Order: sequence, then structure tokens, then C-alpha cells
Amino acid sequence: MTTYLVTGLVVGSVYAIATLGIVLTYSSTRVFNFAQGAIAFALAITFYELTVDHGWNPRWAAAVTVLVVSPLLGLVLWAILFRRLADAPSSVRLVSTIGLWVALPPLTGLIFGRDERFAAPSAVFDPPHQYEVMGVGVDSNDVAVIVVAAVAALLLTVLLRATPFGLSVRATVDAPSMAATVGVNTSIVSAGSWMISTTLAGLAGVLLGTQRGFTLPQFTLLILGCFAAVVIARMHSLPLAFAGSLGLGVVQELSKSVVVGDFLDQFFERQSVWIRGLPQIIPFTVMLIFLLAYRGLGQERFSTDTRRADDAPTVEDLDGPPLAWWRRLLPVAVVVVCVLAAPLVLSGLWEGIAAKGLALAIVFLSYTLVAGSGGMLSLCQISFAGIAAAITADLATNHGVAIVVAIPIAALVVVPIGLLAAIPSLRVGDLYLALATLALAVLVDNTYFELPSVNNFDQGVDVPRPEGFGDDLPFYYLLVACFLVVALLVRNVRRSTTGLELDAMRSSEQAVATIGVGIVRSKLVVFGLSAFVAGVGGALFATYSGRASPEQYSVLLGVVWLAVVVTWGVRSIVGALLAGLSFAVFPQLASEHLTGAWLELPTVLFGLGAIGLAREPRGVVHQIVHGRRTQERARRQRARLRATPSPVPAGVEGGGA
Amino acid sequence: MSPRLEGRGISVRFGGLLALDRVDLEVADGAILGLIGPNGAGKTTCFGVLSGLVRPQSGQVLMDGHDVTGASPQRRARAGLARTFQRLEVFSGLTVREHLVVAYRSRGRNVATRIALDCLGAGRRPFSGEDEAIETILDRLGLTKLAAAPAGALPLGTGRLVELGRALATRPRVLLLDEPSSGLDADETAALTELLRSLQAELDLSLVLVEHNVDMVLGLAHRVTVLDFGQVIADGTPAEVRASEAVQTAYLGAAP
Amino acid sequence: MTATAGAGLVVEGLEVSYGDVRALHGVDITVPAGSVTAVLGANGAGKSSLAAAIGGAGPVDRGRIVVDGEDVTRWPAYRRARAGVAYVPEGRGVFPHLTVLDNLRAMLRRAVPAADRADALARAMDTFPVLHERRRQAAGTLSGGEQQMLALARVLAAPPRLLVADEMSLGLAPRMVDVVFDGLRRAEDEGVTILLVEQYVERALDLADEAVLLRHGEVAWAGPVGDARAEVRSSYLGG
Ligand SMILES: Nc1ncnc2c1ncn2[C@@H]1O[C@H](COP(=O)(O)OP(=O)(O)OP(=O)(O)O)[C@@H](O)[C@H]1O
Ligand SMILES: [Mg+2]
Repeated sequence: MTTYLVTGLVVGSVYAIATLGIVLTYSSTRVFNFAQGAIAFALAITFYELTVDHGWNPRWAAAVTVLVVSPLLGLVLWAILFRRLADAPSSVRLVSTIGLWVALPPLTGLIFGRDERFAAPSAVFDPPHQYEVMGVGVDSNDVAVIVVAAVAALLLTVLLRATPFGLSVRATVDAPSMAATVGVNTSIVSAGSWMISTTLAGLAGVLLGTQRGFTLPQFTLLILGCFAAVVIARMHSLPLAFAGSLGLGVVQELSKSVVVGDFLDQFFERQSVWIRGLPQIIPFTVMLIFLLAYRGLGQERFSTDTRRADDAPTVEDLDGPPLAWWRRLLPVAVVVVCVLAAPLVLSGLWEGIAAKGLALAIVFLSYTLVAGSGGMLSLCQISFAGIAAAITADLATNHGVAIVVAIPIAALVVVPIGLLAAIPSLRVGDLYLALATLALAVLVDNTYFELPSVNNFDQGVDVPRPEGFGDDLPFYYLLVACFLVVALLVRNVRRSTTGLELDAMRSSEQAVATIGVGIVRSKLVVFGLSAFVAGVGGALFATYSGRASPEQYSVLLGVVWLAVVVTWGVRSIVGALLAGLSFAVFPQLASEHLTGAWLELPTVLFGLGAIGLAREPRGVVHQIVHGRRTQERARRQRARLRATPSPVPAGVEGGGA
Repeated sequence: MSPRLEGRGISVRFGGLLALDRVDLEVADGAILGLIGPNGAGKTTCFGVLSGLVRPQSGQVLMDGHDVTGASPQRRARAGLARTFQRLEVFSGLTVREHLVVAYRSRGRNVATRIALDCLGAGRRPFSGEDEAIETILDRLGLTKLAAAPAGALPLGTGRLVELGRALATRPRVLLLDEPSSGLDADETAALTELLRSLQAELDLSLVLVEHNVDMVLGLAHRVTVLDFGQVIADGTPAEVRASEAVQTAYLGAAP
Repeated sequence: MTATAGAGLVVEGLEVSYGDVRALHGVDITVPAGSVTAVLGANGAGKSSLAAAIGGAGPVDRGRIVVDGEDVTRWPAYRRARAGVAYVPEGRGVFPHLTVLDNLRAMLRRAVPAADRADALARAMDTFPVLHERRRQAAGTLSGGEQQMLALARVLAAPPRLLVADEMSLGLAPRMVDVVFDGLRRAEDEGVTILLVEQYVERALDLADEAVLLRHGEVAWAGPVGDARAEVRSSYLGG
């Protein structure tokens, strides 16, 4: 048991180091760095290559990685991405780093190759000294990790709380333009924090790698641990982040111990699944517990919002000047005609690919609904899709329910599951919803999707097609019809009173409340609706492919989905369609023309696309439709909104009656 | 008859600070109450309590004699209470007209039916009487030309009018205005004063007005309550209040 | 030095537009060093755009802004601040999540040499004693007027070279407005150049040496305050 305690503290310390970086950049720039784990991974691989492949002395390699490469990477990322985010609307700040998360691991693969990586020599003490503490063997490397984490936490706290730089950081994040007008060079402040943050990521990466191996799953687990710790820290408290990480590491390791295993063995019939998934379930559970506990404290205690005091309204709010009707309808018409006519020109294979894209597009419409209209970031739409697919398969194959009945039932079942993540987190803020949904997705991945009856030993479960739609061609048109129906629903909601209310809520929840509009209810309804849509889409996707297999609905894939959708435009229905199609088409093209690490090129592109949002927050579709000039205009308009406050058009001065 | 809005013994404590100390205040049907006092006296906090955004440590809020102390802001709004904010709270993504639309519709159908209708595409159609009501308000406030302008880009004074319009669109019976004239120049303030006077008469509104523009508030109000350090230090007709020594020293200072 | 010699602030041909909308078309203003100029005009006439442009917080399309003979048009806001330009934005000139004390520290850090900082801090709290009482409170939870005092405290405590104040008296009770104008008068005596955007026209004109009347983004009238009152009256009634 105590052995687990020690390893838990070590793992927790690594979490702590990475978490401190997330908290630092969040509290200095209001950008939540979802990519911290990916950055740590890339830097860990750098270290590995330096020592193992290039034969550097491990200490040198570690020093160079952490002290030179890491801050440089931070500077580069700041220059190309994070710098632009300073002016970006809050929603873009929320999703932009997701692109990095998606793109960085495969990019690392492209650069360093994708060979198997085994243990690297330790960077600190090799061989380590062994101690005996309370009957448990502890080696000096463990101690070193814990000490490094504690020192980092302490230094950062002092830096933020007690130095002029820290004051500038806090002032900048609170109100950037105000900070500039009192003489703070906000660029230096934000570049500095990002460099510190990536340095911490590099440190965590090297430590985790040497302790646990250089595999992606290890780093995914790292991310989850960090995110739970970030919730515990309420996004801003460094000491809580540190303590939370340690606690989480310990709990996670303890869960692996035999005692706990035995206990669970007795408790659950389907033992193995639950136990294997336990380390991944814990972050979610912890997150939920803390969300509920903090909710009791009342909202003021949270520094939740991605918004800052003098933020301009979000860019999606400003759709720019209205376009002539034909310019609005033309792209829609072109796309509809193309989709309808596609089977006439496509070969069998590509017709199938297009159908797959359509099914995905329906799932993607759920993002349009939840993120585009609702302004909420959900990372578990893919789980909704997967669960609905599995239930549909079960109902249709094992219980003989007609498929057209099974799909809506399955989609309905998904809704309360979604609310499980939404209800505790919605009230406290958008970012918490994103984290809670991510954790939920991981939970589903590691439990439900692992059940033998669902997973069927990686075979998946068969799903029949509805009668009369067995062939690809009629099924294709069935999908087109479904897409149009859902698209109509999404559009209706956006343009309705509810849509207006959701838009209003983004600016002022207080004002919304005092005109009599319930704040949480509309959001919950839209969230539930989006879960339903995702469920329908997921079930149709399974129906198209003939089987529901969970590995097609894994969390990380869901993150890529999100990246694709936001790249094309999360507010746009056509964007969702193109996202679906490109998600089906690009990998197919890649598999025909590329090999090895290059197979992941589409993923890299999707990730880079999302990063590009920092330049054009409304996505590619908006850019095509509205053109460059209006982009520029919108940018100026934002500048005006930021220059507080701002004039009306001359000549239409508003005055008293 | 019970007053339309009443606060009884309201106390609010923030940490060690007693922001409101057993404050009583009362707005009769169709009356205009002025609420004045130095900076930090607790006027905005008082509005927070009345509108349900701030929970008092003790005391009661009553509307038409019914206790609404525990009611949510939404419930009070539906019961006819509306307010504006000292620090502008406009919906920056919405146009001026949309502000009024959202507010007008908030008193319509219940949420479930409405969202169902929204999904079916019925959500865009204006409610009955909506268009006329909104055009009237826009016209009265002189906002017709700005109806399609995004509200986030308006100057402060115009933003205040948008908030007033939004409040009016909920068809309130009691209207709380927090410094409506700040950001307006002298002429605009005069126009606003006239407007409030006539709206109050036409719509049978009860108004509560927080203002530092002493001439405006004393000219408009039927009664005035003066707060200082969270306590009511004077309460009476404008003339009485102006004459009161306590008010002179605490609030008005040298030149009124 | 050219024609701008002796001027604390020169604005030349300033044009500002937001998208298609022009806010200022070619505004020229000269404020002699150490004097006070009041900018008047209706809601939306472009006063705030002018102030923001000078402070570096708003966009500039064309034109020049010269402070004490130095062209600062292309300077970022922080550089202007360090050079002694203090811009107080309308309404939201505080850091809401920082305590009052941290607000003052952050505001004074670049405005005052390290040795004088403690004095300046004390002076700021003396001017508005309530700030001292509330020094550990987050600025965002201060009352509207208290926030305005906080925003002003730094400029009154540490007089800059050029003060651009947008609606300083916003939300202040009459007694506090007196305090603020007293402070401005003192600053003027110390040689600060002041550009004042103010809704209390009478009060602003009492203090100012010259006045500028903006209308629809253009200078409709400019001249010494003596002539301004009549001009203002007729122009407001007409405009
Ligand atoms: N959330 C809070 N936490 C701590 N103190 C608060 C909070 N909200 C308000 N206060 C304090 O309570 C007092 C009353 O504030 P309030 O906003 O009601 O004043 P006010 O009368 O509206 O003043 P003003 O005329 O300046 O707007 C102030 O001193 C303020 O600092
Ligand atoms: Mg107030």
C-alpha cells in the first residue's frame, strides 16, 4: 500500500508540474491550454531522441530539452498562435489550443519517426540511490521529482504574488487594454508566461517519460490528471493545483493496488473492465465531486470565465454587415446541388465515403448547435454518438427492434447521460463544461465501451440497415434527408427566441435574469438537444458501416472532430457538412497516397486548421462567403468595441426622445 | 392598500462591511421614488436586493404585499419588476431591436412549449402585439434609427437608453433605474426627465430612481429616500430633503 | 521644433473609422503645455474616440498625435503611458479582480519612480479615504463611484505630463465631483497638460482655458472658454 503512496506522490508531482503551467497561462492570458500534455509529449520525445538516438549524456539532454528547447518552443508557439489569441473572442480562446493538441503528437511522429520507444536512462541519478523509508523502498529519483515539483510550485507562487512581473501578469489578464494604458507591455508578459509554461511542460514530459515510458497513452492520462487538478484549483490557485495534483496521483495509484482490486472484484461482476478503467475514471469522479462542492460555495468564488474585463464582444456575435440574399444562398445552393448530384458521378467506393461523410456531418451539426448557437464547448459529442450507436446495435440485433425505432430510442437514452456532465458544470462556466464533458468522454471510453457486450472483442456489433435502404444509393439519399431535417432544426433554434437568449447570455447573465429569462434552462435544453442530434448521427454512422464498434468513438478522435468542425466554421450548417465530408475524404486520400507517419497528415492538417482560427475565428466557410474585405471590417469593428466606449455612426446620434 | 414594492429592514453584509443596515423603503402605486446618497452608500446594493440579484442577510422584499424575498430575479421580472444597471449590461451581440424582442418575449409562453415551437421553426414569428409595442418604445426613446445597430458599439448614453427600452419591453409595473442620466448631456437629460414623467403617467409605472444629478431627481420624484453608510438618513418630499441639514453635509457638499 | 513648440498636445488631421463608419474626420486640436482644454459635444460626437486615440487604446487611420513635441502616433499604448500620457477611459478604468491596493500599485508602477511610489500611494488614498478603507477589496466589487475614484486616484496622486480624462465625474456624488475638480486644478498648477471630456459642461468650462466643440466627428468650434458658453448653448439647441 505504501509503495503505491510513493509512486502516487511521484506521479502526482509530475501532474503538478504540468498543471502549474496550465494555471499560469490561464491566469495570465485566459487561454486554457488543452495542449499542455501534447507539448509535454513532444518535448519528452525530443529528450528521448537526444539521449537514445544521438547518444547525449542524459543530464545534458534533459537540460537542453527543458531549458533551451522548451522555452524556445513556447516562444515560437506564442509568436504564431498564442499572441493572436490575446485579441481573439473568448470562444476562440477556448478551442484554439485544441488544434495544437490534435496536431502536435502526429507532427512529432512526422519529425522523429514513429518507432517504438522504450525506457530512457534517468536524467537525474543513474543509478539512483536507494533509501528505505518506513519500510518502503524509495529511490533518489522519486525524491528528486517531488522536490522539483514543490520548488516549482513555490517559485511560481512567489513570482505571481510577490513580484512586479506577477502584478503585471495579473493586471494584464484582468483587463489587457487597461494594463497597456498604465504602461504594461502586455506582449512581454504573455510571451514570458508561455515560455515558463512550456518549460514546465518539458520538465513534466521528461520526468514522466523517464519514469513511465514515452507512450502517448501515458501522456493522455497526464492530461486528465492535470485537468482534474485544474478544476480543484478553480483555475487559478497554484497551491491548490499542487496539492490537488499530488492527491490525485496518490488516489490514482492506490486504485491500482491489489486491495482495491480485490474489493472491486467482489463488487462488480464485470470486474476487469472497471478495474482497468479505474485510473481514467478517477479524474472524472474527482472533478465532479469538486464541481459540486464548489457550486455550494457560490459563484463569486470562481474565476471561471474565459472572458476578461474589457473584452470586446465575441466575434461570432458580429456577423459583419448583412450580405445580399444571393450571396447568402449561393453557397448553400451550390453545396446542396453537389451533394444531391454526387452519386451520379462518384464510383461505388467514393459514394460510400460520401455517405460516411454525411452521417458524420449529422453528428457535427450537434457541435453547431451546442457550440455555435449555445456558446458551450462540449468534448463528449463523440461519446453520445458512440453510446447511441451501441444501443442501437443492441436493440436491433439482440432484441429485434426495428432500426427506425431503435435509433430515436438510443438517441433519447443519451440525453440524460449528457446532462450528468452538464448540470454540475454549466452554472459555473463554459470552461468547466468543456472539462467535465471531456472527463465524461474518457469515462465512457474506459468503461462502457470496454464492456464485452458492447465491444464484442473489438469486433463491434452488427447494425442492420432499414428495409428498402439496403443499397448504398438509397441509403445515401436517406442520409441526405436526415441531414436536411436536422439542419433545419439547428437553423430554427438559432433564429428563434431561444437563440437570441443564448446570444444575450454571453454578454450578461445578470441582465438576462432581470428580464425574466432562466439562465441555465435554455442552455441545458440546447445541450440535451445536441446530445440527441449527436446520438442520431452516431447511430446512422453505425448503420451505414453495418456495425457499431466503440473504437470509432474514442475521446481523442472526438477532439479531432471538434478541430475539423471549428476549422470549417462552428456557426455554419454548411461548415458542418463540409467538415463531415472532409473527415471522410481526407483520410481515404491519405491511405491511398501516403504511408507510415504521413498517414496522420490529415490529422495534422485538421489541427492546424483549428489553430488557424486565431486568425479567422469564424472558420473557412465564413471566409469564403464574406470574403477578405469584410474580415478586415469585422476586425476594425472589434477594435472599436474595445476602444471603450465607442461612437455611433456620425449623423445618427441617439439622444433623448 | 399595500405598496407596489416595499423593502422592510433590509440588511446586507459583505465581509466586515455593513452595506445596508435595516433599510426600509416603499414605492406606492404610480409614484416616483428618488434614492440618493454618497458614493458607496448602498444604493446599487439596494437595487440588487430588490431585483433578486443580491441576497439580503435579513429583511423582506414585498411586491403588492406578497413576500418575494426568496424569489429568483426571473420570477420577480415576470411579476412586473424591471431594472437598468449602473455599469452598462447590454447584450453586445444583439441589435438594439433584439434587446427589446428578447425582453418582450420573456413574459410569453413557458419555456418547454417555447423551445418545442422554436425547434419546429415557429420561433421567429413575433408574438401578437409585439411589433407595435416595440416600435412604440423605440420611437419614444429616439432609438428607431439605431434599431439595427449592434448594441455593443453604442456610446454610454445611448446604451442607457437601450437598457431603459429593454426594461420597458418587459411591460413592467415597477421600474428601477440606476443612474439613467449618467453619460447623457444636459439636453439629453432634460429629454429623459420629460420622458420618464410621461411614461410613468401613461403606463401607471412605479419608478425608483438612483441619481447623482440632484436637480433631475428632486425635480422628478414625489418622495426621496437618502442613504448614507447603508442607513436611511432622511426620507420625505424633495423640498424636505433638500432642506435637511444631514443631507447637505453628507451628500450635497458645497454647490448643489 | 516647429509650430508645435510650446504645445503639450497637438492632434493633426486625426481620422478614425470603424469599418465603414467614420467616427472622426480630420480633427485638429492644440493644447498649450500646462493648460486645460475641454472637449464638448453630444453623445456619439466622437469625444471618446478622440480620447482613446490619444491614449493609444483606440485605432487611428490617419493624422498625427504629438505630445510635447514628440510624435507618438505609432507608439503602442504602454509606451505612451511610460512617457507620461495618462488616459482614464470612460467608466471602466480599473482592474476588477485585483484588490484596490494592487490596482494602485499596478497603475503607479510605470508612472512614478520607485523612490516616490510609497508617497504616491499614500497621496492617492488621502485624496479618496474610502480607498484606504477598501484596500483589500476586489476593485470590481466597489460601488460605481468608488471605482471611478480608484481610476482617478492615480492621476491625481502622480500628475502625468498629459492627462486625457474621459468623463471623470461619471457616477460621482456632487461632493466627490468637487474633490475631483479641486484635484484637477492642483494638477494644472503643477503644469500638467489636460484634455478633459466632460458631461458637466459648466464645471468643465469653469476649469478649462480653451474649449473644443465636436459634432459628427468634426471640430465645430474651438476657442477660449470665455466665448464658449454662448457657443455651446446655441450649438446644443441647434444640434
Ligand atoms: N460584493 C461586494 N463585496 C464587498 N463589498 C461590496 C460588494 N458590493 C458592494 N460592496 C460595498 O458596499 C458599498 C455599497 O455599494 P453600492 O454599490 O451599493 O453603492 P452605491 O450607493 O450604489 O454607490 P455609487 O453611488 O458609487 O454607485 C460600497 O462601499 C462597496 O464597496
Ligand atoms: Mg451605485
